[in-house]
Amino acid sequence: MPSVDQKVQSKPPSNTYWRSLDELADTQEFREFMYREFPAGASEMLDSNERRDFLKIMGASFALAGLGLQGCRRWPEETIAPYASRPQGRLPGVPEQFATTMELGGVGHGLLATSYDGRPIKIEGNPQHPINQGSTDSWSQASVLDLYDPDRSRVVKKGGGGSELSESKWDKFNSWADGHFKALDEASGKGLCILSEATASPTVLDMKRRLLANFPMAKWFMYEPLNNDNEVQGMRVAFGTEYRAQYHFDKAKIIVSLDSDFLLLHPAAVKYTRDFASGRRADGPDKSMNRLYVLESGYSLTGANADHRLAIRSSDIAAATGEIAKALIPEAAIWVSSSDIDKSLIEQIAKDLKAHHGESLVIAGPRQPASVHALVHLINQHLGNVGKTVTYTTRPDSQPHAAALADLVSEIDAKSVDTLVILGGNPAYNAPADLDFASKLSSVANTVHLSHYVDETSKLCNWHLPRAHYLEAWGDARAYDGTIGLTQPLIQPLFGGKSCIELLAQIINDDIKAGYDLVRRAIGGVAGDKDFERHWRRILHDGFVTGSAYPTVSPTVIQEEVGKLILSSSRGDSTKGSTGLELVFAADASVYDGRFANNGWLQELPDPLTKLTWDNAVILGPKAAESFSVASGDMVDVSLVDGSKVTAAVLVSPGQHPQSATLALGYGRSQVGRIAEGAGFNFYKLRRSDAMGFVSSATITKVSGKYKLATTQHHHAVDTSGGKGLQKRLPTIFRESTLEHYKKEPDFVKHAVHVPHRLSLWEEGNLTGANYRWAMSIDLSSCTGCSACVVACQAENNIPIVGKDQVMRGREMHWIRVDRYFKGTDAQTPESVALQPVPCMQCENAACEQVCPVAATTHDRDGINVMVYNRCIGTRYCSNNCAYKVRRFNFFDYQVREPVRDGGIMAVKPSYYTRPQSDTNILQQLQFNPEVTVRSRGVMEKCTYCTQRIAEAKINAKNNLVNSKHSQDLVHVPIADGTIKTACEQACPANAIVFGDLNDPTSRVTQRHAHHRTYEMLEEINPKARTRYMAKLRNPAHSLNGHAADDHSGGSHSG
Amino acid sequence: MTTLPIDNTLDDPTKRSPLVLGHDDFASVTNTICNVNERRRPPRAWYICFAISSTFLGILGILIGYLFWTGVGVWGNQNPAMWGFPIVNFVFWVGIGHAGTLISAILFLFRQKWRTAINRFAEAMTIFAVICAGMYPGIHVGRVWVTYWLFPIPNQMEMWPQFRSPLLWDVFAVGTYFTVSLLFWYVGMVPDLATLRDRATTKFKAIAYGIFALGWRGSMRHWHRYERAYLLLAALATPLVLSVHSVVSFDFAVAQLPGWHTTIFPPYFVAGAIFSGFAMVMTLAIPARQWWGLKDFITMRHLENMNKIILVTGSMVGYAYAMEFFTAWYSGSMYESFAFVNRAFGQYAWAYWIMVSCNVIVPQIFWFRKARQSILIMFIASLLVNVGMWFERFVIIVTSLTQDFLPSSWDYFTPTWVDLVMFAGSFGLFLTLFLLFIRFLPVIAIAEVKAVMPQANPHADHGGDH
Repeated sequence: MPSVDQKVQSKPPSNTYWRSLDELADTQEFREFMYREFPAGASEMLDSNERRDFLKIMGASFALAGLGLQGCRRWPEETIAPYASRPQGRLPGVPEQFATTMELGGVGHGLLATSYDGRPIKIEGNPQHPINQGSTDSWSQASVLDLYDPDRSRVVKKGGGGSELSESKWDKFNSWADGHFKALDEASGKGLCILSEATASPTVLDMKRRLLANFPMAKWFMYEPLNNDNEVQGMRVAFGTEYRAQYHFDKAKIIVSLDSDFLLLHPAAVKYTRDFASGRRADGPDKSMNRLYVLESGYSLTGANADHRLAIRSSDIAAATGEIAKALIPEAAIWVSSSDIDKSLIEQIAKDLKAHHGESLVIAGPRQPASVHALVHLINQHLGNVGKTVTYTTRPDSQPHAAALADLVSEIDAKSVDTLVILGGNPAYNAPADLDFASKLSSVANTVHLSHYVDETSKLCNWHLPRAHYLEAWGDARAYDGTIGLTQPLIQPLFGGKSCIELLAQIINDDIKAGYDLVRRAIGGVAGDKDFERHWRRILHDGFVTGSAYPTVSPTVIQEEVGKLILSSSRGDSTKGSTGLELVFAADASVYDGRFANNGWLQELPDPLTKLTWDNAVILGPKAAESFSVASGDMVDVSLVDGSKVTAAVLVSPGQHPQSATLALGYGRSQVGRIAEGAGFNFYKLRRSDAMGFVSSATITKVSGKYKLATTQHHHAVDTSGGKGLQKRLPTIFRESTLEHYKKEPDFVKHAVHVPHRLSLWEEGNLTGANYRWAMSIDLSSCTGCSACVVACQAENNIPIVGKDQVMRGREMHWIRVDRYFKGTDAQTPESVALQPVPCMQCENAACEQVCPVAATTHDRDGINVMVYNRCIGTRYCSNNCAYKVRRFNFFDYQVREPVRDGGIMAVKPSYYTRPQSDTNILQQLQFNPEVTVRSRGVMEKCTYCTQRIAEAKINAKNNLVNSKHSQDLVHVPIADGTIKTACEQACPANAIVFGDLNDPTSRVTQRHAHHRTYEMLEEINPKARTRYMAKLRNPAHSLNGHAADDHSGGSHSG
Repeated sequence: MTTLPIDNTLDDPTKRSPLVLGHDDFASVTNTICNVNERRRPPRAWYICFAISSTFLGILGILIGYLFWTGVGVWGNQNPAMWGFPIVNFVFWVGIGHAGTLISAILFLFRQKWRTAINRFAEAMTIFAVICAGMYPGIHVGRVWVTYWLFPIPNQMEMWPQFRSPLLWDVFAVGTYFTVSLLFWYVGMVPDLATLRDRATTKFKAIAYGIFALGWRGSMRHWHRYERAYLLLAALATPLVLSVHSVVSFDFAVAQLPGWHTTIFPPYFVAGAIFSGFAMVMTLAIPARQWWGLKDFITMRHLENMNKIILVTGSMVGYAYAMEFFTAWYSGSMYESFAFVNRAFGQYAWAYWIMVSCNVIVPQIFWFRKARQSILIMFIASLLVNVGMWFERFVIIVTSLTQDFLPSSWDYFTPTWVDLVMFAGSFGLFLTLFLLFIRFLPVIAIAEVKAVMPQANPHADHGGDH
């Protein structure tokens, strides 16, 4: 198939039929439209024959006659071109789903991509995939937007010699590469280095093998800024070889996280969230649930879900782990030196772990040094957890990433690198600061960078090659458990990009060049069965190779080695300055390591804990902020002993250890698209290859200047009237209890608030006779607050991003948000964190409906509070009267307005007035879900329970009924429970959200609504909400929580 | 009857002081008042004021264009404060538009003759204030091009407005109020327009005034019909004084928002409206009587009476503020109590205390006769009351919206420059209209004033002018 590159035009002059007047006239608009919409056939259709010239003139007269009036309309002109011959299996307007895999940090995520008329528009989890099981994280959800990013690299660029990159062509690169790599081939690849991202893709590894066979002297390095070097090293010490630990949180009763954010930042977080959540519902006959202890420096999402959390410096985690080990393993006392950390919680952890032999789980985070990881393996083994809650599998070989990059740098220093091919990644931006990779890179004679964006690394390379998005190219990846997943393209590369494997095939001059064939060859090699064609079709359909997970092994920890490591590392520790402020580097919940920086959905996705959007910041605890006399928005210099310094803004956040500052990576990009431009601060400049996780002895000094931080939720200091009001109402809004109290009083939620009566002044809308009664249940015990639902909703419902200046005005458009409250009066150490997703409650007594003067929001028969966009005139009264504030208003035409960081005095850019259909918008519009109206400015919008999905299910059910013989009752068509999944429900890895029909007594939502943990938020105002919550259960240890029994959330009964 | 040499407005228990000073005959009254319109050039102050106010009006027009072109995001409105300055200003202007009809209609029905000096003036102010008020909801909606859907116009969609919405009631209430006030003002002006027509020195003026004078010849029959019509219109307008601001208050009282959802709102809003309306009359009357030599008509006694009304209504408003706290506490609702405590001590405490100081504390100065009779004090007080009443609307709307039920949505509202300039622009619109009115229409009801002059009362010497 030809590519979309408009310059590539083949000319088979066969087309004599015309499809529209515009085509006859062969206008520029039509040409553009064809390229945009039907890239495959565009070049054939747009053959320009001279005999048509007179028709052009005729076309112009059509335009004059009134067809050219698009300037006066509010909607874009659209042209319809039917298929001359329909591709197999495609029905116009009927979406198709393809299984595919996205690789992130070397780990594959099994996904289903929805394609609408050839455009991928939505990502879901692959329900059959062992890790994803139908759900996703926010990065997978948002990845579809990257495909249509107008700032993505579109052309090959050539630079070098310090000059600016200039536009080039694939042809030119090809001719250069042919000659260059042929010459290298003759030199057996001497001087050739490949730097790739972490990958376990069988095809890439296959290509690597072939490359090294072809170029025996070539070298291959892998670097990933967020890596698991420590984990691997710890594994190597503990077992003598590298394995991968697979945790089974569903089987664990006691979970101890040592600086591990396994609910958000772990590669298998989706599975771990599901498993963890399944142990939090206390629904079994014995009403048991797991208990989570978290030791960490600043709030992670996992910490926010902890039953007991201890804020402790990241550098003290090793000592804490040692203390735990001492209490459990007698021999450990020899290796572990005593420390002065607070032991009350440690003792409790040890006691609990002892009491749950084989049912506990200790996990350490990737920031922690190898000694902690090794010790954790030993602890798990001692607790009898191996084979139960922790299993080990083999893993792909890997060089430690920081070391690999250091090796590459020394190769460059030794002048032994002549050609460096960088496959993805952005090392010039995210390499450890001490390696000074960027300047080293410039000294290499020939550098090639394959990348989605013209980024910091591209700028320094001789060749920049546009990389194909995973939805555009064939590939594969291995999930965390090793399952091979296939990456299946849904669309031809929009900008003619290439994938890694295609570039590699070109470099080694492979006999096959197409991605499809390369993947087939590699998978065939791995799968290797004789009936491969059938097997291949199965893999294509499923998206992964069944049973390809890494084999489980049962290794034994070599205790002496662990001891030795700990002894040596603790000696090393004492020489390091352990006092003073430490800086903790964290992956960002939005942009990950910076690769998603130009993704608007992720930039605008509030951080789960700080609720910060569009930036990162130096996260300081209230005490630390006090001691440095800084407040949120103040600028500070963060400097290290070696003199490196970054000036950044401070954000004060509760729960952060006073001697620790958390720095999220991935911001402060210097060479980036329009979305990420100016976003945040680059903390990679402070990250050294010997301290990739955290670094001690940092200093913070206040400097002049203020920085505006856009948070979606404001902090109300506890001594203000707002703070007091918050703490007072929190127990009724977010109802929670301890497991102990719940067992004694299962219906504790009913006593949280006193509702004297539910009388109504008028006859309420009678919805009892409806065919369906849609409703939703959100289990706060399961929900971890990961925010995947927010992005899923945004993708499904064409929700625009608004930009930083608008977020600061409180105009973000998310239909579902995750509310975050810190409980307690001590901001330094909050008692707990409440995380609560809030979509529209779909009240039966909807306050919004009463006050709309034009009846633009009303109830439908099924009980959904619907929003009629076409009728809305935008008085915004509904939003004022909505107690939950879930309504969102289009203050501007956000789909047209550029999401600017600082709107300045005019709040909109001049292009807003003149170019309503710019190139940028057209590209982004390709992502739109055609089933959902794109709202114009001036109208209100809100959660619809994904009404388009309901309609689709109804139509399907009706069609099925008509097609079957029993078509008597077409009024009430039964729809099986679970047929309709709202976007948030579908994405939720914790299964916290359930949608269904209350008329169906067996549906999950009916059962959940009848559950004694279920409550209605703000029931005092009698909204009769269809969306209800299930109260949060916590499971604190009795001995640590003396008054646990009394500490139920219920307010007083004295209404 | 001899002219009283001094401004004898002190209350003499035996004799009512005259309402008009310094005029020995009807002709001089006519001359003085018509002189405002007939003099060749208005005073320099008028030009200066007109230049400023019309500039602001122009800016307002430009900003409305900007608003229509880009969207309501140019204002500071946000989630949760979906209503910000525009609605604050709307209620503010509607409130100001209250005194006029109160003076003309209710005081007329109660035979409070002192009203005659200020009623024309106050009615004009009402009309212009309601124009300013009415502008805001119109431009406030997200899609201005379909604002007409607010009106019950039969249409192809077969859609009526939603009659349960207080916003719709607002449309009717403000619309009716404007119509009746305009009619009342105009009908009352007909005899005076005829006077101006008869005195016109140019053909153009004669025709222009003549058209609006509706052929008034001053016959007994005309007077009879006129007085009947005026009385009926007064009776029609009286309930509107109470209804329009009650309905405006329903915008808030009908909502379930803590701080809005209170039954005290209708009387409290009406009292507040009269309070602010009188303050605005004072603000306008004091310079006008100075510049146009109308001191004999708008006498110290008038001003003092108005000060008394300001004192009374200000105290009523103060009582309402206190009562709100009581009800919030008595309701036992956590959200209600919070809303009020938060008003006084929360993030908008500064606005709340500006409101209380200006509306409750400042008018208390009028307990003192010295203050009631001091032009300077009453002028400053009237300005402060206007400030305070603007803040009252700000406090009600913004504090309730920004901190309602779920703390996650709480936010701090800050206006944009467009908000501020448009508010200034609405004053431009108001003052431009007002200055034009002063220039071209009789600012004092000539015919009515003559009727309250001692000469008009044949039994003046026999005690009492009732």
